[in-house]
Amino acid sequence: MPRALWSGSLSFGLVNVPVQLVSAARDLDYRFHQLHDKDKVRIEQRRFCSKEDTEVVWEEVAHGYDLDGKQVIVTDEELASVQPRKTRTIDIEAFVDLADVDPIHFDHPYYLVPAGESEGTLRAYRLLLAAMERAERVALGRLVMRTKEYLVAVRVREGALALTTMLFHDEVRSTDPIETGGKKPTRKTLENALAIVEELSTDWDPERYTDCYRERLKRVIDRKRKGERVRAPKPERQPAPAPDLMAALQRTLDNLRDGGDARNGSDELERLDREELYRRAQEAGVSGRSKMSKDELVKALSNGE
Amino acid sequence: MPRSIWNGTITFGMVNVPIKLYSATESKTVHFHEVHVKDGARIEHRRICPREEREVPYEQIVRGYEVAPDEYVVLEKEEIKAAAGDRGKVVHLDEFVEAADIDPVFYDKTYYVGSREDPDPYRLLHDALRRSDRAGIGRFTFHDREYLVAVRALDGVMALHTLRFHDEVMAGEDLEPDASGRDPSRREVQMAEQLVESLHEHFDPRRYEDTYRAAVEDLIERKAAGEEIDLLEQEEPEQGDDLAAALEASLGGRKTKARS
Repeated sequence: MPRALWSGSLSFGLVNVPVQLVSAARDLDYRFHQLHDKDKVRIEQRRFCSKEDTEVVWEEVAHGYDLDGKQVIVTDEELASVQPRKTRTIDIEAFVDLADVDPIHFDHPYYLVPAGESEGTLRAYRLLLAAMERAERVALGRLVMRTKEYLVAVRVREGALALTTMLFHDEVRSTDPIETGGKKPTRKTLENALAIVEELSTDWDPERYTDCYRERLKRVIDRKRKGERVRAPKPERQPAPAPDLMAALQRTLDNLRDGGDARNGSDELERLDREELYRRAQEAGVSGRSKMSKDELVKALSNGE
Repeated sequence: MPRSIWNGTITFGMVNVPIKLYSATESKTVHFHEVHVKDGARIEHRRICPREEREVPYEQIVRGYEVAPDEYVVLEKEEIKAAAGDRGKVVHLDEFVEAADIDPVFYDKTYYVGSREDPDPYRLLHDALRRSDRAGIGRFTFHDREYLVAVRALDGVMALHTLRFHDEVMAGEDLEPDASGRDPSRREVQMAEQLVESLHEHFDPRRYEDTYRAAVEDLIERKAAGEEIDLLEQEEPEQGDDLAAALEASLGGRKTKARS
């Protein structure tokens, strides 16, 4: 079980469910530390008073705010005094349909788990699960954690109550200034585009996607540890817009219907990343491969075959 | 006009859509800086080498990954770049999925997608996504890091969401739910469903203001005016032990309110 970040209760009418909040996201990134180049000792960040030039302990730090050029100092206790009074409770204010909430509003995902093992708590937790699952509803409420109040959405996910912090409406920018434009597509053009989307459609299955960045970073660390030098590949060049949209659509559809790749006919090489292409070039004994870009590798490999 | 943060190309099939990306969100949390309580002076964060007990200038700092206690592999900027891959400024939408099938826990950051140079393919992709209720899935490289992304159509504009990977999201069973004890009775579930129904409304984000942000802003104003701040006690809610009675009272309470 992950560590509880908050404990309190979820309040639903007059029913209170004691709950604990745990994060639903795991941080799997490789974290780097700042090191002093000379002695490879880990750097420590320390707080110093800019006036006295001496180190300051955390207890002597307060919050400063620049109000029109005038500095206002606020203490932890004063900040706590403006938190809503029932700060240990998430009051459900309303239930809405999940489909009505645009994902832009979602921020960080958490789970709410029952706090303690008393029968009453477990039963109240399951009651809320049962009532919300059937109606496919999302509960909206507020959560105060550390020094911030969040609007939160609570819903059922995989047999548990999932909680997501949400952005407030004024934290989501207007789309009005975004440049869009473009001619309304003709019926035939739109039909072809929809046919491509249809051909390339698949079920959403998150397990099919792996974090290639994380894997590559691991390989870079491993190679570096063995004393190898690692160079960044040349980025793929940006394609120019097709002069004839209809022709590009038609060619894509022809490729797809011939069982080929949507982007480049039947050429599967284009789909591979440079590292894999480089491995193949090594096997094929392509000369000058280490200096080649991805496109050049594809060209060299397809000429050789 | 907001500043774009990325210029590139989205492709689907052989159609290339030149685009710009814009931040779709901005935090409005009141941000404080750290000050020394004694003299009100700003706190500085200094980088100290604990062995030499002195400040280290930024140029003498390198990034290291700890492979064993106190054993680091130092990576140069160029080497970290190598992990970003070679996709550069192109997002290939190789697959499309039902947009509503993507569970909200996967959504991370959102950007708005704007058109650049030739807006016709932009409009075409938007209309195709909107008509099909699909989202295009691809990979996006930003600041030397590669992300999994979903591109969706909003009303007239497209949005690009970075997505969490499946192993970065905890599954319900990872929580080891306690299956002991009695389940709620049918009557209790029915009453709870009634309560859910009575509180049902259409989602309107404008109805929810950040009251805490407003309270902090008000606190700052009062402090600036030299006011003494009352430090309030916080109260804990009481846990009712009779579930059915609590539900009944909740429903009853609402009915009375609705009539008056």
